[in-house]
Amino acid sequence: MLYKILDKKDFKDFVNNLISAYEVTAPKKISQALHDFFPIKSYEEMDLSYKRTTLPPAKKMLFPSNEALASYTVGNNIEVKSLNESKEQLLFGVGAWDINGMNFLDRIFSTDFIDENYMEKRKKLKVIGIDAEPSDANFASSVGSEFAKEGFDLFLSDIGDKYFVRIGTAAGAEIASKFGDFLDASDVDYSAYDRQMDLYKNKFNVNVNLDNFFENFEIVYGKKDLWEKLAKSCFSCGSCNLVCPTCFCFNVRDDIKIDLAGGIKSRQWDSCMISNYGLVAGGHNFRPDEANRLKQRYRCKLKTFVEKFGQYSCVGCGRCVEACLAKINIYEDINAVKEEVSI
Amino acid sequence: MVMDLKEKTKTESIYVPDIATITEIKDLTPTEKQFKIKIDDPVKRKNFNFLPGQFVELTVFGIGEAPFSIPSSPNNKDYFELCVRSIGSVSAALHRMKAGDKVGIKGPLGKGYFPYEKMQGNNVVIVAGGLGMAPVRSILLQILEDRKSYKDVTLIYGCVDPQSMLYKDEIKKLQESKELDIKLTVDRPDNSWKGAVGVCTNLIPQLKYQPQDTYIIVCGPPVMYKFVIIELEEKKYKPENIFLSLERRMECGVGKCNHCHIGNKLVCVDGPVFSLWEIKNLKEAI
Repeated sequence: MLYKILDKKDFKDFVNNLISAYEVTAPKKISQALHDFFPIKSYEEMDLSYKRTTLPPAKKMLFPSNEALASYTVGNNIEVKSLNESKEQLLFGVGAWDINGMNFLDRIFSTDFIDENYMEKRKKLKVIGIDAEPSDANFASSVGSEFAKEGFDLFLSDIGDKYFVRIGTAAGAEIASKFGDFLDASDVDYSAYDRQMDLYKNKFNVNVNLDNFFENFEIVYGKKDLWEKLAKSCFSCGSCNLVCPTCFCFNVRDDIKIDLAGGIKSRQWDSCMISNYGLVAGGHNFRPDEANRLKQRYRCKLKTFVEKFGQYSCVGCGRCVEACLAKINIYEDINAVKEEVSI
Repeated sequence: MVMDLKEKTKTESIYVPDIATITEIKDLTPTEKQFKIKIDDPVKRKNFNFLPGQFVELTVFGIGEAPFSIPSSPNNKDYFELCVRSIGSVSAALHRMKAGDKVGIKGPLGKGYFPYEKMQGNNVVIVAGGLGMAPVRSILLQILEDRKSYKDVTLIYGCVDPQSMLYKDEIKKLQESKELDIKLTVDRPDNSWKGAVGVCTNLIPQLKYQPQDTYIIVCGPPVMYKFVIIELEEKKYKPENIFLSLERRMECGVGKCNHCHIGNKLVCVDGPVFSLWEIKNLKEAI
């Protein structure tokens, strides 16, 4: 890790220089209330004051909702060709929790079998993070993802009239030297950064206490009433999964091309909240009802990967809370689990 | 052996199947067919060494892919067999195919297999329900091909009715050979039925083997496991010596799509065979 300073008066030039060299994807205002990450052509298109974007940017770029994996000819002579589209890209202005979400996906797609479709895109992606504004439902500081330790090339923190820049990779150092006027950080800058980090942590309105959740969850696991109560209003629409930066379940399907001479194998995002998620041939459903599915979503987010990777797979971005039509709220449910145990 | 992860090079996507040819199709029952499959590429065919209990992802091109466990003997190096019930879109399409047709094969998959090395020198009990006979047939054949390495072997096999019994001829021959003790049971007997009536769980109390030198293999419909395990525990068989092949929905077979997860386990990668010890406290595994 290297530490540098970028004066705010040089910031615009830096962004425009990046745009001239890379396809830059950055937050854009797309309506009165909504922001989303899109490729930009000039500095002015970008709006870094966003509080949240509907879709997590890294997932959108690295793990598209529909992706062709292979194409083949059919008939007497079958030939299969793997499909893998990737290009050099730069993601600008992404918040720490979304970088941590991407780090989680990196781990998923590179563990055991290596998913080249994801990894090729990931290797070609440069990431420049920023201390983004947390939305009202954001509880990243409660799950330890308000700070990104890795996964970025550069990370910018606003310390008044300049940015304190953490350089995370060699590629990041190259970007800094090539495209911007980066200076060495002074002792004053370091202490300004320290103060800023303390202030930043206080920007998160929601604080969730996950102490003992790991054990408590085990205790309430079999309490059918609790889960039925929590999942009562669930429509099984899957919105929570679609907007989640760490949800990665997908279906694999084969389709025949319209000329009947070949086919495509592709994958689509799936959702563990949808009724046929656990359905197998023959009609048995391993996840038959809303209560069971909600419970297993929480298990996946807050327990499974603590056991597997030593981390929550929830980064606390709050998107699922804001996307849920039935107002199901993960941190209220965490509290409900706590209450149930204390009774 | 288990697919070497490093063998997968950059250009070889984990989603691309190898081309294979169906060389023979046999009707096993009115609803199940047996497919003999040979991988086209001679090098890949040679490298296709599976362990009993492992499975493959089979693609019917243009239709889809689905996981199938391998019921043939791991000692057949040239081909493998699949036993398929026509029940979903892929299996129905497979049933419409004929010898000579091409399919896609990914595998062998799964780290969890029936640990035949450990079972040598011990008694082995195989409990199969319905289509659960298919995954355990590979270990059964492997044991029979090296019969002297094992002590007593018992097969408990339960079906809905005598017509749906898989590998009937083979079982008949085995009954005559006395190489193993075979206990058959059906829910709905016909007039000619001479075996037991009821679920296979009922036959477990009759087992005479002692826990210290007995291994148990279980495979069947999801509902069967719970009751079989109750009976096995009643007999004090050790959980680390009980092996179960689990079924879950799988989309990719290579640990990415997450459909087959049970808590921190993935059935496709960590299984499909688990010891009871591994999953005893894993919620919703059984």
